[in-house]
Amino acid sequence: MPRKPNNSRQTKALLAAFLEQARVWRHGYDLSKETGLKSGTLYPLLMRLSEQGLLESRWQEPERSGLPPRHVYRLTATGLALAREQELEAVAAERAGALA
Amino acid sequence: MNAAPGRCRRLAIALARHAAWMLPSAPWAQAMRHELDYIANDSAALRWAFGCMLASYKARLTQWPRFSPRHAWRHVATSGALMLLIGLALQERAGGQTEPPRPGFDETTCDLPGVSPEIRPRLRCGTVSVPRNYDKPDAGHFKLAVVVIKSEQQPSWPEPVVYISGGPGSPLTVYAAHQARTPYAPRRDLILVDQRGTGKSEPGLCPDLAGKLLEAALAFAASATEEAFAMRQATYLACRDQAIGRGLDLTDFGTQVTAEDLEWVRKALQIERWNIYGESYGTTVAMTLVALHPDTVRTVILDSIYPPDPVPLWSTTVNDARAAFFANCARDNVCSASFPNLAETYRETLARLDQQPLLVTVPPRMRQPDDRVMLTASLFEAVVTNLLYYPTAYPDLPRVIQSVHDAEPQGLGQDLAQVLGPILAAQLAAAATQNRATHAAVECRDRPHYRQDLPRQDLPAGAQGLDRRQLYGVCARWSDVGPPPLVPAGTRVPTLVLAGQFDPVARPALSRHVADLIGGSARFVEFPLVGHNVRQFSACGAKIAADFIDHPAQKLDTSCTDRTSPIPFLPKRR
Repeated sequence: MPRKPNNSRQTKALLAAFLEQARVWRHGYDLSKETGLKSGTLYPLLMRLSEQGLLESRWQEPERSGLPPRHVYRLTATGLALAREQELEAVAAERAGALA
Repeated sequence: MNAAPGRCRRLAIALARHAAWMLPSAPWAQAMRHELDYIANDSAALRWAFGCMLASYKARLTQWPRFSPRHAWRHVATSGALMLLIGLALQERAGGQTEPPRPGFDETTCDLPGVSPEIRPRLRCGTVSVPRNYDKPDAGHFKLAVVVIKSEQQPSWPEPVVYISGGPGSPLTVYAAHQARTPYAPRRDLILVDQRGTGKSEPGLCPDLAGKLLEAALAFAASATEEAFAMRQATYLACRDQAIGRGLDLTDFGTQVTAEDLEWVRKALQIERWNIYGESYGTTVAMTLVALHPDTVRTVILDSIYPPDPVPLWSTTVNDARAAFFANCARDNVCSASFPNLAETYRETLARLDQQPLLVTVPPRMRQPDDRVMLTASLFEAVVTNLLYYPTAYPDLPRVIQSVHDAEPQGLGQDLAQVLGPILAAQLAAAATQNRATHAAVECRDRPHYRQDLPRQDLPAGAQGLDRRQLYGVCARWSDVGPPPLVPAGTRVPTLVLAGQFDPVARPALSRHVADLIGGSARFVEFPLVGHNVRQFSACGAKIAADFIDHPAQKLDTSCTDRTSPIPFLPKRR
């Protein structure tokens, strides 16, 4: 049976983190702290989701002088739909577990 | 201050640069590198950089066919060199060399009492490592406990408030739940720091001797005999020897060091400027911080100043505060009817206790032999002085004095036990939260007058007991005197000085004098019928302080001080 795309635990955790603040531009380090994903896992994921059109990204000017610009990410409409779908699946799975 | 990156940080930067160089055309590789500059903690930065390198190698390997043998060799050589550097760095760390810390906030879980589910999401807890000695960055570090309380209304306004508590030696972060409920400026975040040697901050100075230090101090407060003096001195010196034996340097304490610690915390939290609220001894730290780092301070409030040297003899300040309180009673109809000459009653009580101390029954939680305490003139003086701190105790204070005055020398009057027992228990519990060793460590560095003999003056009976309770006879053998606390004379930082009419630590006139020393940027407000810690006991004071923090350039509306209700004195017991 072929593996469902974007179904790994890491991807789900990342999409769930984005969904919590759906329209907010997020930084990599904040996402790493929130999801527990290491940078070496996080950035390839961000790259892949961006290539799939699930995330949009841009450079954000620094808040203070002397610091470099930051790359920020947020869900696209497609990404938002997928993240919501995964959230519903997770809730359904949790309920099934509770009843079992 | 040392702001140069340490070895750990330099290594992280090198790794992240290498990762970005591996993938010059991928913006995400550059993004990972830039992100490094926003990670304050060095270890976290190094872990981040490792991840960057692994990700870049993984991505590059997928493009392997495009690798030329020459480039492949370069990559292998560079990686080898980096691995060697990492190995050397780790070896040096294992060899016991301490890397100078760099300002960074290590977030941890919040382990604090009394935190409700509503408050919990607003708390960020963690530690900041500060140099033990700012002149010797390689001499190791202490971890300080820090709590950031996000304001209830989000987004918070910029420039948070840092609250500097009293003591020295009092814990602070343990009271985070209370602090979260009573913000200084409701739209701003609040920062709490356990000063070095207090609360959850390192070093733990004489944890094994804390009980003995308290016991010796209380015994000396009750009866200032030569024997009690010798016992107290020996306990402090045992603590000193224990601290030195554990590798601590007692010159790593003092108000200037504490002020530098706070500056380090500010940098670690990446705060450009903050508002300072100093209370009691915290005003000493606040003034020193403003003097040393004025550009980092937006406003400063000095609530109930602990006066700079030369400080008047404490008993004389207490006498004035008590006299002001007695005068208030004499002007009040209820108080003067029940206690026609309270000042005289008080003097008589001290004289009687000097002749014949009273045995008072106290609650079992005080763990006193037979649940009794010998109430001497010195101890009673201390009790009344402590009650002057708290306006909530004022209505009952005349009755407490009268009860002790009227008590039978042989009797353990139930009345007296009911009145005094809980007061003594509460005061003992408060005293037990202080770290007395840290108190000595800071005061002995700050206050040269504790090296001299206690000046002999004609003082009322019992009064000298208050002065003897201080650190005379301890400091000369504790450590050398250090750099003094500072007064920011002529500063441009907007400053508000709050003083209570019955403050037993600083006369209002002395607080006003400090405001005058600070100069044109300082405003002074006196609060009638308040003791020490104005804001805590005066809604009017809290409002004025909050208005000042948010609008320091505006004219202060102090009209609420004119509407203070009289003390609701309780009449004499029948």
